[in-house]
Amino acid sequence: MNGLPATDFTANGAIPLQYQQFQEFWRAASERQVIFFYAGYFSQHVVSAIAETIRARLDAAGTAGPTSRRIFSAFVEMSQNIMHYSADALTPAEQPDRQIRGGAFCIGVCGERFHLLCANPVASERVEAIRARIEPLCAMTVDEIRSAYRTALRQAAPEDSKGAGLGLLTMARDASAPLAFHFLPDSTDAGRTVFCIAATI
Amino acid sequence: MEPFFLPASPTSPEVSFEFARHHLSIRGESYPENAAAFYGPVIDRLRSYLALCDGQAIDVHVALAYFNSSSTKMLFAIFEALNDAAIFGNEVRLHWYRDEEDDTIQEFGQELRDDFSSLEFVDCVLPAGHA
Repeated sequence: MNGLPATDFTANGAIPLQYQQFQEFWRAASERQVIFFYAGYFSQHVVSAIAETIRARLDAAGTAGPTSRRIFSAFVEMSQNIMHYSADALTPAEQPDRQIRGGAFCIGVCGERFHLLCANPVASERVEAIRARIEPLCAMTVDEIRSAYRTALRQAAPEDSKGAGLGLLTMARDASAPLAFHFLPDSTDAGRTVFCIAATI
Repeated sequence: MEPFFLPASPTSPEVSFEFARHHLSIRGESYPENAAAFYGPVIDRLRSYLALCDGQAIDVHVALAYFNSSSTKMLFAIFEALNDAAIFGNEVRLHWYRDEEDDTIQEFGQELRDDFSSLEFVDCVLPAGHA
């Protein structure tokens, strides 16, 4: 990557790619030990393809089986959450399959720990309902999480869930520290809020 | 009854119900986009078959290396149907395969044992990395 000009010009004088900025972005991610980052649209094919590369990478790095499985599981829950619930949808909201929705997902390493983060916009009026669902999980002990998981497994799925209402509990169960979440204003749309979840594994 | 077969895909398991042999198996990975849509027909066929069983020995093999949260709920419905058939007088043997390192799948097997006590549960432990 050394010795690249800062910009390159096509025949018509446009700048096709800002090599310098791209390199800075890449370096910033590497310095922060980001081993995977994806921002864009999630479909089932994308989830499946990323899953394959994450698994191969963890295997190649010799990550312990149980840790590797928890990372994999948390990734699937996070990415399918984006695919099912993000407000940034390319497919009709009521479409039951082949959904394509936008968000971001990242895995960083810090010593022995892995940090998984995901983010996607949601309609601002849904914020309080989401908060009510995730906030209690962040305050639970490991035993309380397991007990809540076992209860939810035997209950009917909540009305607004496309899964079993088990997704967040599964993330909490896979994590080795309490889940964290945050709501950020969406700079591109006043009616939306960006919902972020962080899981440490 | 005609056998029921679904080939595996990268995100869904192979489902093979050989009703004539009373041999049912589900194996692979399970994180389809829509677990209810994937498992709905599987559960329907299973229930139709079980409704015809009386005093039958049924062998079930479940070898799932990974299943996501929405599949978990569907699997529970499958085991519930099998357990009901066992209560009704059939002999249902569930072989539950798991990687020796996988505590999540081990714990789920324990949940099944606790909830579906009419099933004859066979814990099948595979050496690490072979699930």
